[in-house]
Amino acid sequence: MSAWSYYISTLAVYFGVDVLSGISLNLQYGYAGVVNLAYIIFQSVGAYVAAATALGPDTGAGAFQHYIFAASLPFPIPLLLATVAGGALAGVVGLFSLRRMRRDYQGAIMLIVSLIALQVVTADVPLFNGSNGLTGVPRPLSFLPVGPLAYQWVYAGWVFVFCAAVYLLVQWLSRSPWGRALKAMRDQEEAASAIGLNITVLRLQVFVVGGLIAGLSGGLLVEYIGAWSPGAWGYAETFVIFTAIFVGGLGNYRGVVLGVLLVPVVFLQVTQFLPQIGYPGLMDSLEWVVIGLLFMVCLLVRPRGILPERKPIALEGSSLQFAAPGLLHQLRRRLRSL
Amino acid sequence: MLGTLASAVAFGVVLASVIAIAAMGFTVQFGLTNVLNLSYGGIMTIGGFAAYLVASHGLSAWYGLPVGAVAGAIVTLIVGRGIFAVYARRGARVFEMMMVTLGLGLVIDYGLQALSRNNIYEFTVLQSRPFSFGPIILTPTQVTIIGVGLALFVGLEGLLRLTKVGKALRAMAANPALARACGIRTRQIVVLTWLLSGALCGLAGVVYIINSQSVGYTTGELFLPLVIAAAILGGAGSPAGAVLASLLMGVVTQVVAAYGGSLYSTAAGFGVLVVVLLSRPSAVLTKQASEELTLA
Repeated sequence: MSAWSYYISTLAVYFGVDVLSGISLNLQYGYAGVVNLAYIIFQSVGAYVAAATALGPDTGAGAFQHYIFAASLPFPIPLLLATVAGGALAGVVGLFSLRRMRRDYQGAIMLIVSLIALQVVTADVPLFNGSNGLTGVPRPLSFLPVGPLAYQWVYAGWVFVFCAAVYLLVQWLSRSPWGRALKAMRDQEEAASAIGLNITVLRLQVFVVGGLIAGLSGGLLVEYIGAWSPGAWGYAETFVIFTAIFVGGLGNYRGVVLGVLLVPVVFLQVTQFLPQIGYPGLMDSLEWVVIGLLFMVCLLVRPRGILPERKPIALEGSSLQFAAPGLLHQLRRRLRSL
Repeated sequence: MLGTLASAVAFGVVLASVIAIAAMGFTVQFGLTNVLNLSYGGIMTIGGFAAYLVASHGLSAWYGLPVGAVAGAIVTLIVGRGIFAVYARRGARVFEMMMVTLGLGLVIDYGLQALSRNNIYEFTVLQSRPFSFGPIILTPTQVTIIGVGLALFVGLEGLLRLTKVGKALRAMAANPALARACGIRTRQIVVLTWLLSGALCGLAGVVYIINSQSVGYTTGELFLPLVIAAAILGGAGSPAGAVLASLLMGVVTQVVAAYGGSLYSTAAGFGVLVVVLLSRPSAVLTKQASEELTLA
């Protein structure tokens, strides 16, 4: 029984972290139309910073890994620094990559940025220990007098607290005038800039807010699993979150929660229970094949997701106007036939 | 000292030839259909594996070139007509189309990982005595790669500039609606584009594995960013631009590898792209009007 409890609590932590990722991407793409195919590097910088600042100095006899920022900082500070690091990196990357260009160009350039970062971190061993990554990150809530199993659930609860807070925050932000400006920019960029919205600043703002959430999610994840290496952040990880928010429905946060529950949690965990076929590793490859197919099928059968964005009244009104002549025509025919 | 630089530049030209073959195919396809095709790397790998199968059955590795080209052309045509065209008919926008190609890229890459049992296979080409030009020493294989790249560039430019089909291709890339109104059979031109770019893509895959002497499922995935960077840098739809950009990136990559750390070399190639984006943003700025997909 305790094995199940352990398993479910682990899933709960991953679910919470992925919800944060989904919220971040949905705010950026679903609301603002900013394509961030480099999402995973903002999560990773959070994870690395949280790990390194929580770890002690890397010099001495027992040093088996090398990294910068070693500080042995106490519990909540590494998480805070992780959040800030995610936002700061997003600011820097955003400054040069958020120019006004086609969305597919922007996506491709973000993808390239993501690959550059991966190569640099892998190559530069003194930075964050290269391809081996950092391990032995101290557990943040270890001062609590609970057993290992209870700790699992406490940590899941801790992650959910952040999820709920971020969820409420972005919902509030999205309904604020700022959120409406984002949607205006997404739907009609020219018009939005004509009514005086500063497109460049708005994009940078939403990029940094998303980066802060990404950094937080990375910090929470690394403090749970205790290790982080370049193997954990290929571009395909970003694609999984994108698939989740497309499946759930863009432009609303209930869709994010549903999509994350369906795609990274249910969909990818089911394969753990299928009988292993073929050689070891075959199932892992097929998992990625199926994720790719899932996105393609989703866009074909439900392009707006399971829970589509509700259009505001003003837009519904305008579509009614287009529908009205047809309706009137039908009404007249009915009347005539009477 | 000068010798190191000269041979680094020479190796850069070899790498540039490989990038350029792929980037020419990519840019022709992108310029005409407006699909930023991220599954292109996967199709390169398919071409590479096709050549590997030929070579493992005892034929010379050079027979891999036509086989890879045919494999790339067929797969690209199937993907373009069977998958991308469906999304275009349903009104997919450029970004959604790019995500579809990224998804398809995952399917191809990891499908190949499953088929190849996650192994890297050796692909050896018999080597004879290397040529030496002053301080530069190149193997016959490397010289051949440069020759293949040059021949393909001249052939493609000739096709685009001197033939009627080439004229139709260029007209359609510039303005599909007008081209259709002028009586150009746009459907056939799109089919031709898939075949042409697919063949170049398959060839690039084969040339890449001849150069690197091994093939694995990540072959194209790792190479694709360089190709996209070269195509964007050279301007969509311009083979000459793609070749120049490939030369720049290839040479920078190899010179950095010779003087700095070899691990930083690829990052340096991308650095070129970033610098250009900052200094000449018009390279990637396009008007809203051109965001139409032309697939039929």
